[in-house]
Amino acid sequence: MSVKVGIIDYGMAGNIYNISKAIELAGGKAGIIKTEKDFIGYDKFVLPGVGSFPDAMDEMEKHSLKDILIDKIQDKPTLGICLGMQILCKIGFEFKETKGLNLINAEVRKIECSGKVPHMGFNKVKIIKDSPLFKGIDTSLEEFYFMHSYEVNNYTDVIALTDYSEHEFVSAFQKDNVFGVQFHPEKSRDSGIKIFKNFITI
Amino acid sequence: MKTRIIAKLDVKSEFVVKPVHFEGLRKIGSPAELAKKYYKAGVDEIFFIDIVASLYQREIRYKEIAESAKDILVPFAVGGGVRTIDDFSKLFHNGADKVVVNTHALQNSPEIIDNAVKIFGSQAVVVNIEAKKWDNYWECYTDCGRIQTGKSVLNWVKEVENRGAGEILIQSVDCDGRKRGFDIELIKSVVDFVNIPVVAGSGAGCLDDILKMRTICKPSGISISSLLHYNELTVSDIKEALKNEC
Repeated sequence: MSVKVGIIDYGMAGNIYNISKAIELAGGKAGIIKTEKDFIGYDKFVLPGVGSFPDAMDEMEKHSLKDILIDKIQDKPTLGICLGMQILCKIGFEFKETKGLNLINAEVRKIECSGKVPHMGFNKVKIIKDSPLFKGIDTSLEEFYFMHSYEVNNYTDVIALTDYSEHEFVSAFQKDNVFGVQFHPEKSRDSGIKIFKNFITI
Repeated sequence: MKTRIIAKLDVKSEFVVKPVHFEGLRKIGSPAELAKKYYKAGVDEIFFIDIVASLYQREIRYKEIAESAKDILVPFAVGGGVRTIDDFSKLFHNGADKVVVNTHALQNSPEIIDNAVKIFGSQAVVVNIEAKKWDNYWECYTDCGRIQTGKSVLNWVKEVENRGAGEILIQSVDCDGRKRGFDIELIKSVVDFVNIPVVAGSGAGCLDDILKMRTICKPSGISISSLLHYNELTVSDIKEALKNEC
């Protein structure tokens, strides 16, 4: 039976469509979670993200998703993508200081580097700690699509780093069942589908 | 980081067309079919621009957009006729990863950029600029090179950067569709003037044009239409040529 992955839909911004498509391609079954009632029957969760940190947290509160999500993430594997990764952290500084879901002890701050920001395009990852999420990924060849102006500052749960314009930042973290990737696996060709396959089989 | 190769689909009604100087349209095929074809050929990104939606005040073509987004696993930027935050939201829900604005921001309300950035983040807001060269400056045009705005391109790129836009698509009314090379001076001026990524378009006629522009201007991305539409170059040809040159 295929694994059921619930995608959290919190408001106006959401590339739910692309993520559910990618999950189905990876062999999973995707469903959408909009309210507290929708959480039943899923094996895993994906927290997507197109948007800004404060807006995402506002929407979470507005749809009463925050507390139940924190609760659910404790026992089901969860993958945060881009802003979805960022709001798993303790605090964000996009526009204003905003509290995140506080599942990862990290801060989200503007990328400070000499290159153009947003960091936009295909880039590689360097794995620094073994994780099932990157199983079978050839990091010397495979690339992932990034589109972000903010980055996660974390020192304890990092599994991958990425170089951009002589600046190194956290491109993936894992703490127990909580995973986050700064890139968009749903926009990273077959390499991205591999990430979803790995997540589904975890 | 490698320069992104972007296939740009100019869409009118239900067809991808290719204008010359933004005029004289030829039908190339359906957007969904071409998006899939170029994705399979290895492009890094696809831009879908409805070139008449603003001019004729048409509705955004969500059906074609969702169809085009269906089979592509690379970013998909969509523009043409975007006027409201609700348009942005609907586009994201129909498969867009970025939304492209031009006419409305330039003619009516530049604040749409600030508002969209607050809700969707910088990375999701692309500003398309159609530049026409005059003696000593470039002027912004809208509606597919038809409407003069009196606004200087360099002032406008700085303004959109300050308003939080995440990316600029710079096109040239003079060079578009002619396949005689890019407006290198224009592209270089814009790339050097802002700290956000710039995608350069209009004028690629051969590999040398692309190489030369890329070497001099160093844009973050290059948008290609005619060369791909008429099968004159493949995405692999372009990537192979750019590989050895940094």
